[in-house]
Amino acid sequence: MALRAAVLRHIRVPVRTLAATGSKPQLQWSLCNSIRLFSSDDDHLTKEEVIDRVLDVVKSFPKVDPSKVTPHVHFQNDLGLDSLDNVEIVMALEEEFKLEIPDKEADKIDSCNLAIAYIYNHPMAG
Amino acid sequence: MSGATTAAYLARRAAQKERVRILYRRALKDTLNWAVHRHLFYRDASDLREKFEANKHVEDLDTIDRMIADGEATYNKWRHPDPYIVPWAPGGSKFTRNPVPPSGIEIAYDYGREDND
Repeated sequence: MALRAAVLRHIRVPVRTLAATGSKPQLQWSLCNSIRLFSSDDDHLTKEEVIDRVLDVVKSFPKVDPSKVTPHVHFQNDLGLDSLDNVEIVMALEEEFKLEIPDKEADKIDSCNLAIAYIYNHPMAG
Repeated sequence: MSGATTAAYLARRAAQKERVRILYRRALKDTLNWAVHRHLFYRDASDLREKFEANKHVEDLDTIDRMIADGEATYNKWRHPDPYIVPWAPGGSKFTRNPVPPSGIEIAYDYGREDND
């Protein structure tokens, strides 16, 4: 009986229940906005993150001595790699950052410095 | 005169090196396209690398040109019909879909709710 009364009251004045609970969902939505769970393009990688991930990729290349890798290292002059290894590293970087670098531009990337600058300035690096 | 020939030699050599690098890059990507699994790709990639390394010490310019042309012909013949393309790139599955709004426009993710609701 009490339940029925409650249901009837609920149905008769739906406007009041909406107004009463109105503030709660608003709070939830603003929370969602600040977290942004969706994958979005407008947030960009920070320089530190780019450097860390580039160095990780270079260090994990089989022919590279990880202790020699710094952000200013040149692949062929400092790490003793050849041009084909350079191609492989650039391809690994492309996979790491989900990029597609045009062939001519990828050919120019021959050092950690250049790779970091290119990836940091790329709008789609993720 | 010998300076000019040396410069021409070096220029031709540099052009060949660039062609080889780009050919290797494309062939390596295509290897990844053909490989169904990563562990298959590793073996195929090292085979590809060996093919390139086998002719590492060829000196004659015309022979090198012919080898590069052969390599490019082989690459074109075995090119994957449906290669992997990064989603946002032209031809990718997400190309021009849901484009980024111009800067200065704010999107309110409140689905039409008003402030006084």
